Amino acid sequence: MTDGALRARLIPAGLVWTLVRTDFKARYHGTIGGFVWALLKPMSMFVVLMGVFSFLFASNPTYKLNLIVGLFLWDFFAEGTKSGLTSLHARGYLLTKARVPPWVLVVTSISNAVITLAVFSVVIAIFLVGASHPPTPAALAAFGAYCVAMMAIVIGFSLGASVLFLRYRDLNQVWEVVLQAGFFIAPIIYPLGILPERFHFYLYVWPPTPVIEFSRAALVAGVMPTTRGHLYLAGDAVFCLLAGMVIFRLLSPRAAEYV
Amino acid sequence: MSLIEVDAVSKAFWIPSVHRETVREHLLGVFEPRRFERLQVLDGVSFDVRRGEGLGIMGRNGSGKSTLLKIVSGVYLPDRGRVSTRAAITPVLELGVGWNPELDAVDNVLLIGSVMGLTLKEIRASLDEILVFAELERFANLKLKHYSSGMSERLGYAVAFKAVREVLVLDEIFAVGDAGFKARCERRYRELRSLGHTAIIVSHDPRIIATFCERALLLDGGRVMVEGTARTVADQYVAMLTQASREVSGATSPS
Repeated sequence: MTDGALRARLIPAGLVWTLVRTDFKARYHGTIGGFVWALLKPMSMFVVLMGVFSFLFASNPTYKLNLIVGLFLWDFFAEGTKSGLTSLHARGYLLTKARVPPWVLVVTSISNAVITLAVFSVVIAIFLVGASHPPTPAALAAFGAYCVAMMAIVIGFSLGASVLFLRYRDLNQVWEVVLQAGFFIAPIIYPLGILPERFHFYLYVWPPTPVIEFSRAALVAGVMPTTRGHLYLAGDAVFCLLAGMVIFRLLSPRAAEYV
Repeated sequence: MSLIEVDAVSKAFWIPSVHRETVREHLLGVFEPRRFERLQVLDGVSFDVRRGEGLGIMGRNGSGKSTLLKIVSGVYLPDRGRVSTRAAITPVLELGVGWNPELDAVDNVLLIGSVMGLTLKEIRASLDEILVFAELERFANLKLKHYSSGMSERLGYAVAFKAVREVLVLDEIFAVGDAGFKARCERRYRELRSLGHTAIIVSHDPRIIATFCERALLLDGGRVMVEGTARTVADQYVAMLTQASREVSGATSPS
């Protein structure tokens, strides 16, 4: 094998950076102003929901903090999965014209959601400090780990859904409906405690629920979830990632034929 | 030594009687099974490409040329057979390299250049040269969606000619641009070949195959009908077209 052939089989860092950069530019018209609009969507939702529901949950002093943690994590999940689902189709112009590893196109497509999550993490930290709940280093480390678990879930979903979307072109609409329902299944605008405990298990099956609940426990309540809980989340993330990888491995070799 | 070996490659597409592309269509059609027609595009194609040579591929529309190039370039997988590549391939398929219409020329060149294996440093150093080659310096910051098809095709060739490392795969080379651009492409192509680069060219034009290739294949119905010197294959292709034209005239003329 020649040097050129070997180089062609590696994933150049420049390619990953260019895909992330061009995705950002295409989505936000290359301006910080465009990115601010993306931040405003969950921020405005937070303001509206806080305005309405803080009256309903007036007795809960940490409601606002729990709401902002839940909303921002949900925003990452929703935006990441939506981008990932359509990623191969959206980048079909590359897939059909050049030899490019399809998984790179899928994984880099969630970069904008990751950037937004990073910005929101800072916002969450500011809110926590402002509300006299400064997070401990252990809580921040745990939150980082939960974000990694959420990323694994989003990447797993994106890998599987992106190749299925090439065959079923209304899958994005189906997913919008699922997300709509999922927003209320995940305890974002209400505390999980208002539901009877026998239903909690079913809510935890929905992947964003443990990430949101554990993040709230660590950052807001200052309580670390149990080892069993952590094992469940890790298993959940690994399962989603592996399931997505298996579907992707089965269907992606012929992805270019379906674009 | 062969840089590319194509061994008994076959490829078929299954054409459904009814296209179903959505979950809804699949669910509604669950009790109406579809028929699938097998379209054999390539059937046991074998050839090799040696280091430094120019290989031409000719054939009528639907003979499997573009599918073959996509398989050689690693875009499609063959159903049967094997393609061994020992060199980096830079493809320009169907007159394009894959542009994002929402990005300007500079960002698209960075994107395609990195897909073709150049480093960002190499692309930035070559950017002016690429834009000058494509005569698009004035439109460097214009989004590709505002480009004419000719402009984007010129840019595609300019990037590929710069990015090529070992093997250049060109579908319908020199079919874009005005006489000046074609002449520049031809000069650049000869320069690359003199530097030892390998090329695979698909064309309908016998002059291009005879002029720019040493060896060629003639595909028909997904099979290699003739393999030989570029001149021989170009002549066979013309003879095949003449024969087909006579048959059509004979079939349609009033008796």
